[in-house]
Amino acid sequence: MVQFLAQTFVNGINVGALYGLAAVGLSLIFGVMRILNVAHGEFLMVGGYIGFWLFKLYGVDPFMGLPLVGIFLFLIGIVFYKVVFSRVAKFHEEVKLKNSLLIAFGLYLIFPQIAMVLWTADERAISPKYSGQAFDLLGVRFGYVPLWNVCVAVVIVLAMYLFLNKTYFGKSLRGTAESWKAAKLSGINIEWTFMITFGLGISLAGIAGVLIALTQELTPVMGMPWTLKALIVVVLAGMGSIVGAFVAGLILGIVEAVSAIFMGPYTIAIGLLIFLIILVLRPRGLFGRA
Amino acid sequence: MFEVNHIDVYYGELKALWGVSLTLDKGEIVALIGANGSGKSTLLEAIAGLLPPTTGEILFEGVRLDKEPSHRIVELGVCLVPEDRGTFPGMNVLENLELGAFSKRGRKEKEETLHVVYGLFPILKNRRNQLARTLSGGEQQMLAIGKGLLSRPKLLMLDEPSLGLAPLVTKNIFEAICQINQTGVSILLVEQNVHIALKVAKRAYIIENGRIVQHEQAKNLLEDKRVRQAYLGIHST
Amino acid sequence: MPKNWKSFSIFGGTIALLALLPLFTNRSDVLTWSCLTLQYILLSQSWNIIGGYAGQVNLGHAAFFGLGALTTRYLWLAGLPFPVSLLSGAFIATVFALLIGIPAFRLRGIYFVIGTLVLAEILKVVIDTRFPVASALSTETLLTYSLIPRYYLSLMGAVLSVIAVYFISRSRLGLGMMATREDEDAAKTSGVSILQNKLIAFAISTFLAGLAGGIFAFYMVAIQPGYVFSPIWTFDSVVIVFVGGIGTLIGPIIGSVFFVLLKQWLSLHLPGGSHLAVFGVLFILVVLYMPDGFIEAIRRFGKMMTLGRKPAVQGR
Repeated sequence: MVQFLAQTFVNGINVGALYGLAAVGLSLIFGVMRILNVAHGEFLMVGGYIGFWLFKLYGVDPFMGLPLVGIFLFLIGIVFYKVVFSRVAKFHEEVKLKNSLLIAFGLYLIFPQIAMVLWTADERAISPKYSGQAFDLLGVRFGYVPLWNVCVAVVIVLAMYLFLNKTYFGKSLRGTAESWKAAKLSGINIEWTFMITFGLGISLAGIAGVLIALTQELTPVMGMPWTLKALIVVVLAGMGSIVGAFVAGLILGIVEAVSAIFMGPYTIAIGLLIFLIILVLRPRGLFGRA
Repeated sequence: MFEVNHIDVYYGELKALWGVSLTLDKGEIVALIGANGSGKSTLLEAIAGLLPPTTGEILFEGVRLDKEPSHRIVELGVCLVPEDRGTFPGMNVLENLELGAFSKRGRKEKEETLHVVYGLFPILKNRRNQLARTLSGGEQQMLAIGKGLLSRPKLLMLDEPSLGLAPLVTKNIFEAICQINQTGVSILLVEQNVHIALKVAKRAYIIENGRIVQHEQAKNLLEDKRVRQAYLGIHST
Repeated sequence: MPKNWKSFSIFGGTIALLALLPLFTNRSDVLTWSCLTLQYILLSQSWNIIGGYAGQVNLGHAAFFGLGALTTRYLWLAGLPFPVSLLSGAFIATVFALLIGIPAFRLRGIYFVIGTLVLAEILKVVIDTRFPVASALSTETLLTYSLIPRYYLSLMGAVLSVIAVYFISRSRLGLGMMATREDEDAAKTSGVSILQNKLIAFAISTFLAGLAGGIFAFYMVAIQPGYVFSPIWTFDSVVIVFVGGIGTLIGPIIGSVFFVLLKQWLSLHLPGGSHLAVFGVLFILVVLYMPDGFIEAIRRFGKMMTLGRKPAVQGR
């Protein structure tokens, strides 16, 4: 029994780390730019496919290929910001946010279609040689790939934390998140900051996508379910904490794993339940400020 | 050194400034006084690049500020400390000050300027690891001004530095402002506390309903009967 | 109100013409096309109320359409009289709406956006899991299936939605909604009850959406339960409203006609679901460059061409 619970716990962490990583990018973009990127999962999907094709066509090990995917999605993010989202910058703030939302919604509809045309609706997965391998510890099974995933996710989140708190540019991102006006008056180039932030957030989504493709299927329509998970995690964590978002992701993963025991395929409804509970009891989330 | 020439500024769809002009020479302290809603903050925000004027021009050392984005304006040496302080409440004092030096001109001498600011406001050094929002009103104002100084401005614009502060604290702040001016920083001061503004400033402009209505030497305005009545609440018999 | 005489008579005349349509034509394609357009008018007007007039972006509109559709379908097929089933469907939709609305509207806007999105997606997955098999009409029902009553039902739904939007736009409620949309803080200080306004708008919006779903469920011969929760329904509503003119009475009407025509044309010339991508791009372009609506932009462009100068830009 204890073993069973421990296994459930470990499974929860494995998925939760991915939830957390997906949420970190979303949280960053929303925190700094107030754009709720409901197309976040779509970029995650694109990253996954790129990782897949790098592996399939050029034999690039998915973990080794992460920096490549990261850079590529960073550039894609910047392009999308410049071409699409920055054009709403000329509107007033309220309209700006609504329009960003709608644009992201449009992208959410477009991406899967394009993906289906490019890569067909077939399910794929990244399966390197070490894919199914695992080791047992005290009766609990630890898959190598999920374990690596968790490690990578932790390292990335740590790197983000150091970036935001110990580097000058990172601090300017945090400042921008607090107040655009104060940032502008401090000499921070806000447009540039937005562009970099968006690229960074999208890059994180892409990396998450590769890790996900290592343990789950890759399909053109996988975007929205992941966007949703990320949204729920962000609400659970509260605004303004990157590390909090990751931890909340882990928590969601564990809660889902435990609920799956008695809820089976309806476990997804847990997300809605959590969302409502947070809204009613603690709107600022577990780790949120203000 | 600094000129505002006949600018019109709209706040959304409302016209807030009508053909406003003013000048400022190097090393001066110039005050801008007026009632609430008269357009004082709007003018400063326009100069700082937050609200573009629809006509007219703003010139600083020959450069058209009205055509530049806010971060470039800071880079050129014009820095605004806004009414709501412009600090980052969730970050600590040191981080706030450091971000004030984000521009290239500020970064060059960041350590030195920090030292100067700590000298001016020693309490900021004591509280450097404290979150900005936990500071008292006076300390927040000191932080705001200190942060502004870290951009090494040639022209420092202060919007209502005395707002919400006790008289003694206000006195300290204004002493600091004079000291800053003595190091060669020109100051454009918007103040509700007309008395103290007119005491430190050399010249002053009075703004009413978005228009400049008077421009005088500060000490003359202190004596001006109308000003005394309208803004100082002094009714002579 | 003499100046409104013209609009009222046009409106009345159009309804009369539409009501008489089945007498003039027997062609099922015309009736089908009209039926769909009318249903889209109902659905898009319902989104217009919350998204256009109240300014709250609801990205999960499909949830309410779906709830109305499935509830109506199952109750009707279970033997309940259709009107009861239809109203129950709409009612259930509204209940779910309040489930999200009451906690979310007290907080910042994004909670509403996330909440509606989450509701829609979760309902879709749960329904897909629980009811994967399509529901089809029995043979006896099929034998008596006729487009005519469904046409009139759709017409009534569309008219109802137009009337609802008309009265809302002229009522105190509507004024409060629009004030909230423009500047929430200012509205609050003017004494507008923000929470109440948003909830009422949302309730009416989702009731009509549920109605649209119910009518659709009545209209379709076979339905795959998960399909009525597909985000397509949200997207279609949003695109129609934006293309036609958001926050206007006539926008969704024009938008629906344009949309159905364009969709027909595109699906003939493009493979599979890629008409979605086209609509997606069109939508983004409209949001970026023609916020008053595609139709309005064309109108202004036309005016500009004939007058030879740019007309004054509408303030917002």
